[in-house]
Amino acid sequence: MPLPTPRSTPFTLRNSLSTEVLIIGGGATGLGIAWDASLRGLKVILIEQSDVGQGTSGRYHGLLHSGARYAVSDPQTARECAQENIILRSIAAPCIEDTGGYFLSTPADPLEYPDRWLSACQQHGIPAEELPVERAREFEPALSPRLSRAFQVNDASLDSFDLAQLLINSIRSAGGQVYLHHRVTGLIRDANRVTAVEIEDLRTGYQAKMGAEVVVNATGPWATRTAKLAQLEIPMTLGKGTMVAMASRPIHTILNRCNPPSDGDIIVPVGTVIVLGTTNEPVQDPTDLKIEPWEVDLLLAEAEFILPDLRQMRALRAWAGIRPLYSSNNTPGGDSRSLARGHVIVDHEQSDGCSGIISVIGGKLTTFRMMAEQTVDLVCKRLEHNMPCKTRETLLSSGNHSYFQLPGKLDQTSSQSMLAEPSDVICECEQVTREQLIHALDDPDNLDLDAIRRDLRLGMGPCQAGYCALRTFGLLCEISPEPAPAAYGIRPFLMERWRGQRPVGWGHSLRQMEFSRRLYQELLGMTQEEYKP
Amino acid sequence: MHIAVVGAGLSGLFASILAARRGAHVTLVAEGHGGLILSHGGIEIWASSSPSRALPRLRPTNPYKLVGLPALRAALDEFRSLLDPHGYIFTGSLSGNLTVLTATGEFRKMCFAPNGAATVDQLREKPFSVGAIAGLRDYYPTLIAHRASAHGLNIQGLVELPMIDRPTQREIYALDVARLFDRETWRHELLRTWKPKLSGVTRLLLPACLGLNYPIQVREDFFQELGCLAFEVPLFPPSVPGLRIEQILKALILELEITYVEGCHASGRIDGSSRGKRVAGLALMTSGGMRQLDADAVILASGGVLHGGIETLQDHSIREPIFQLPIAHPEDRSLWTSESPFDQQPYSQVGVRVNEDMRPLDSRGRVMFENLFAAGGILSGSDRTHEGSRQGIDLATAYRAVEAATEMPLAAAETKRSRG
Repeated sequence: MPLPTPRSTPFTLRNSLSTEVLIIGGGATGLGIAWDASLRGLKVILIEQSDVGQGTSGRYHGLLHSGARYAVSDPQTARECAQENIILRSIAAPCIEDTGGYFLSTPADPLEYPDRWLSACQQHGIPAEELPVERAREFEPALSPRLSRAFQVNDASLDSFDLAQLLINSIRSAGGQVYLHHRVTGLIRDANRVTAVEIEDLRTGYQAKMGAEVVVNATGPWATRTAKLAQLEIPMTLGKGTMVAMASRPIHTILNRCNPPSDGDIIVPVGTVIVLGTTNEPVQDPTDLKIEPWEVDLLLAEAEFILPDLRQMRALRAWAGIRPLYSSNNTPGGDSRSLARGHVIVDHEQSDGCSGIISVIGGKLTTFRMMAEQTVDLVCKRLEHNMPCKTRETLLSSGNHSYFQLPGKLDQTSSQSMLAEPSDVICECEQVTREQLIHALDDPDNLDLDAIRRDLRLGMGPCQAGYCALRTFGLLCEISPEPAPAAYGIRPFLMERWRGQRPVGWGHSLRQMEFSRRLYQELLGMTQEEYKP
Repeated sequence: MHIAVVGAGLSGLFASILAARRGAHVTLVAEGHGGLILSHGGIEIWASSSPSRALPRLRPTNPYKLVGLPALRAALDEFRSLLDPHGYIFTGSLSGNLTVLTATGEFRKMCFAPNGAATVDQLREKPFSVGAIAGLRDYYPTLIAHRASAHGLNIQGLVELPMIDRPTQREIYALDVARLFDRETWRHELLRTWKPKLSGVTRLLLPACLGLNYPIQVREDFFQELGCLAFEVPLFPPSVPGLRIEQILKALILELEITYVEGCHASGRIDGSSRGKRVAGLALMTSGGMRQLDADAVILASGGVLHGGIETLQDHSIREPIFQLPIAHPEDRSLWTSESPFDQQPYSQVGVRVNEDMRPLDSRGRVMFENLFAAGGILSGSDRTHEGSRQGIDLATAYRAVEAATEMPLAAAETKRSRG
């Protein structure tokens, strides 16, 4: 039998590297900045400590805002969302499903709010149109019969993992470089200027120093820690938002409660599931992601006002993301105007007298492009590089990657099944085929099964990898019969699924968890530790 | 004496047969398919060490401790004596564990493995090949070969084996192949096709698919025609070895004239005149409507969390839905599971608490109903996946429950009197 060659990482660090712009953080913000800067002809390197979308961007509900949510509370954010919604629909089409959205008044929502909200939408140019409740219920029969009013808005469902993939492709085709699983361990200051960064390859332990003319700190909830590496302070508060996915997709439109922004006010159809969002709890640490039972209970109870049959459905899993918010008190030179906009670009040259570093904090996934544009404008100003932003009209590149929303996937499998072996469907829940999986395994960025899961939605459906973990692992051995690195192992994949199922571990979900446990442990003999003869 | 048994998993089927063999009239009611469909076909008793030494030292709440080693031995003897005549023969003993190769090339420990199972002792004797059956679902021979050789087994190589007459327009599962193997003409034709591929191969690892109802004949023909010894690894459900046991037990159920009612949901208990002390029977939801099933004794073998014998709810409560038996459990539902799926799980140890006679106890440790008994997965006190104790507990507790239930002829007479 042939034996191993471990898969190589896509890039190898060298000590002599230097760049014009070095971006720390591979969330939507960092990737957006890297893309924008690459398009403007700057030399760009992005460093991400784990994988793309592992922080706040990936721990997201999937809603591309129409802006209507903020029409009353924050008109500027609302207008920005509305503009960016239109731009993203054209430049990032492969990762967006045009579900449309409803705002719905339930008996639990304030009676006078809808009129106030509708006039705010009109005032700020955010499309919103009232429709008879019966008409909304014709489109979405699962809606509560007790709704009093319904409005149609331009919401859409956006897969942030697919967005990250599109951004990486586009950064690379524009000449930028993305290093995954690399951590910035130091920011080197030469008096009042950050001149270089120290980087460690977390897979090999290799360390290198890289010169940079401008460092952009786009590390979301880790921004304070990153800034500290250069002895800079960023006052931030962190808010944990919990989301719950249900094991079916009873609706195909995004549903918003027509009330002021609050806990549990949206339901988003994503792939084969719906996502209930969100709560907001202050936390101390970016890794503080533990979900309390009351948070899950609250999300289910709130969603029930819109979808009364929700209790009959099975909760699939829950996760939490951390919203980084710039603290308004002891603001170091940031201006209050930018605070209202939900994101802040801190020019440390102005605020701390330290040049060569810019921090970007806060913001919404919907407005990531605009934040990137503003940040790169500042970078260009500092570098005296006079190039206009191109991201408004440049389509994100799919590369040789395929993107599937549910309808496309179903189409593909139904046309394929006439020709191919039926056993070619690896994950029945998400309709992932053998061919797609082989393609994904070939992608050098997919360094572990978890990356492949995000890429294909493998194991994200109702059985939570109960069947496809074995199939993927088996297929991996078939196409490269060498011992795969531990990260490809079936254990971390199963553990990760289990972690997300635990907060909803009761009733049928717990039965599903027990079922997988029985299969993998009693039938397949898997144990915590790998067997050593 | 009429005994009603709820549940058609290993413990329910076994309890029904035992009771019938002891002269009781038995009605077995089951909502769906029992847990044998998930079984590897072996008997796990205590995976981490020798059961005969470990069991006496268990905590008093563990079902084995309540049942005792003699009852376990008696249960195993009777179980094996039921399967033996059908050619389902176990090897192994209570003094230690066998190591059996699985479909991921990992190992599972069990006290008794059926003939034809891929025990590591046998596999170590000489090199063997791995059969790759074309198009078979959930079977990855490369994975098995790779992991098993990493674990020190000597593998000669893979042998591609074609499939004939496979069902069209859908996947082919091990159960399909097993059913095809049961057909004599198909079997001979397939073995003729395989013969040239297996020249020089004397030991072959295959997915468990060599016959469902006639595995003995299939194995014989296999050896006769190919001169090759086959070792089987069970695949994902429907798991053929578990179903072989189920087929044999169901045949015995017919033979013993046990009334077997499938597709009916036991929804509650019927109280008799001695209300609160004894159970008069079961309320059943059948496709024909609600029915009452009178019984002198009820054996509850409705399973644990997976099979619905124990229900876990969002409001942090855990209940036994038929008799509303009290269930002690961690109060906060976030404490029901452990951080890793490979750890011991608190929810799995939750269940009905019983005494030495398998009679359910109330929260103060008193017998709830004189003629109600519980067996199998519904019992508290053990995480059977983690312990590697599933079948041993199923068999021993079913045995003990039947012993106790059939030991109460006087009580049965009393019931009849009170009804008259």
